[in-house]
Amino acid sequence: MKYSVVLLLVLTLLVTAGEQKKYGKPLTLKEKTLISTILAHPEKFAGKRVQVEGTIVGVCEKRGCWINIAGDKEFESLRFKVEDGVIVFPMEIKGHHVIAEGIVSVKKVSKEDLIKQGEQHAKEEGTTFDPSTVKGDRTIIQLNGEGAIVTE
Amino acid sequence: MLSSWRRWNKILHRDIGYVSVALIVVYGVSGLAINHIADWNPNYAVSKEFIHVEPFVSASRDSIIVEALEKLQLSEKPKNFFRPDPETAQLFFQNKTYSIDLPTGNVLVESTTRRPVLYQMNQLHVNAPKGIWTYIADLFALSMIFMGISGLFMLKGKTGLAGRGKWLVGVGALIPLLYWIFFSASF
Repeated sequence: MKYSVVLLLVLTLLVTAGEQKKYGKPLTLKEKTLISTILAHPEKFAGKRVQVEGTIVGVCEKRGCWINIAGDKEFESLRFKVEDGVIVFPMEIKGHHVIAEGIVSVKKVSKEDLIKQGEQHAKEEGTTFDPSTVKGDRTIIQLNGEGAIVTE
Repeated sequence: MLSSWRRWNKILHRDIGYVSVALIVVYGVSGLAINHIADWNPNYAVSKEFIHVEPFVSASRDSIIVEALEKLQLSEKPKNFFRPDPETAQLFFQNKTYSIDLPTGNVLVESTTRRPVLYQMNQLHVNAPKGIWTYIADLFALSMIFMGISGLFMLKGKTGLAGRGKWLVGVGALIPLLYWIFFSASF
């Protein structure tokens, strides 16, 4: 009887657990870092390996080379960028949950480079870009991605 | 001895060619598709539709979801919800995202569908599956190298490598070489 209950519990967990897919290298860290903490103090984390989690709110449409992960606080997200071809994220994972690990990159980008990037991105995505929306230099914080586990 | 070597060259060239045909088509077709990635999305058909509903009055997460489902006449609950900024809310469904501009009620509906067959070809081409496919792709690459080299020795005489073949091989080698010399700055 006792074993039946345990078996039933395990089966229930297996059925209810979302489908999990691994990308890239296996995760190594035991502790997660809040995205809000990284964004609040990026200089503390620059160059360090961290593990974050959240909802996937954006996926690179053409190459699958990045995902945007929603932060634990409203209006915040962090880009998890991988080198082209190292990991290819499918678009279907938008809205799914992810645990991701990578190295925090903090870069100051000039206004000119931001405009160039914006124009390039708009060209690739088939959208428009208004250079006047770029007001000045910006600090870009992202995770140079190594591995991720996505759960539906 | 020489004729025996040529015989085996022909046999291997022919049979490896037969085995490789399917993969040559896969890599060729997806190569064309991926080569023009700046102009189109080779993996997904992405449709973007704009609709308009009444401006939103709700402020909290739960009430925005309820109001959105009602205004967009959706019966299914979203998988997830995100607010990239105070004026925008995003509702995620399977392969469909609603991005709502709350003050105006303008909604961008993005739907994505995999391009059948081409998606799978592209995934193989860029080695998205990793694992064993890496070794299959390596084997295929080695086969292509063998096919190229063995092809040089398929024919003898005027049409062989010693005849017109050497000139055509030279032209073929010049194409990447000249491109590299004159356009190396763009690499």
